[in-house]
Amino acid sequence: MSYRDYVIAAYAVFAAIMLWDYLAPKLQLRAALHAVRQRAARSANRVRATNTELER
Amino acid sequence: MNSSAKNRLVRWFHQLGSPPTFDRFAARWTPWAYLLGLLTMGIGLYGALFQVPADYQQGDSFRILYIHVPSAWMSMAVFALMAFYAAIALIWRIKLCEILAMACAPSGAAFTLITLATGSIWGKPMWGTWWDWDPRLTTELILLFLYLGVMGLYAAIDDRRNAARAAGLLAIVGVALLPVIRWSVVWWNSLHQGQTIRLLGESSMDASMIAPLWWMVVGTHLWFVGSLLARARADNLRREAGKDWVGKLAGHESLEQAR
Repeated sequence: MSYRDYVIAAYAVFAAIMLWDYLAPKLQLRAALHAVRQRAARSANRVRATNTELER
Repeated sequence: MNSSAKNRLVRWFHQLGSPPTFDRFAARWTPWAYLLGLLTMGIGLYGALFQVPADYQQGDSFRILYIHVPSAWMSMAVFALMAFYAAIALIWRIKLCEILAMACAPSGAAFTLITLATGSIWGKPMWGTWWDWDPRLTTELILLFLYLGVMGLYAAIDDRRNAARAAGLLAIVGVALLPVIRWSVVWWNSLHQGQTIRLLGESSMDASMIAPLWWMVVGTHLWFVGSLLARARADNLRREAGKDWVGKLAGHESLEQAR
């Protein structure tokens, strides 16, 4: 194959950027769901702390 | 289409604007769009690398065309789509359209980067240089900066709706660049070759070389649908983070249950 290195480099760039395009939203989705879970956990802890105070 | 089917379609379209409905829709169709995109691009890449004969002038370097041209088309099509969504969002204040417009930007930037990088790699053996301030190359570079501007503006403003409106306006104004990119090789003396492939009319490329290109064009479109839905879903969840349906989705007990 002529110009093999150039062809390989171009296809490697394409593959790398497409991989990023696939992974980036997946990571964003995971981060968004993680933030929601943390938020829910914080709210639950606050409610538990308030209930404990009232029981005393 | 009869009126009942039309009503159902309109109702479905309205329902899709609701964040939980969109989330379910995106979660369902994203993997399919990625998978179909990957399969279609796989067929195209196989043809491009192993079936199509080498060009009589450019040798095998012309195989870069099969990723360069679909990416270049996508870089412009995605920008036009982003501006379209942004215009709908600005006129009718539809939140989902803001989300979709902003979700277009990173994918469009990725395709623009692929176009510039693969063009540069192709240019070195053919033109003897990695870069030239040629009208086509320069306008495509400006397109990348516009994408980065939209992304940066959206990230810089805390209020999501105001951020989307400001960035959307930039997207709408930026559409003026698209015809300049498209016709740059006609209007100015350009190092970049003229139009080789035509959607309407006869292409100046040999018929034996065309098929993988269309596979790649369809594949990149399908891939983009997957990417758009995935990004929009993530942004939708971030915006709706305080809502109960998102809490349930995240698999946690709601505040009511904790009480």
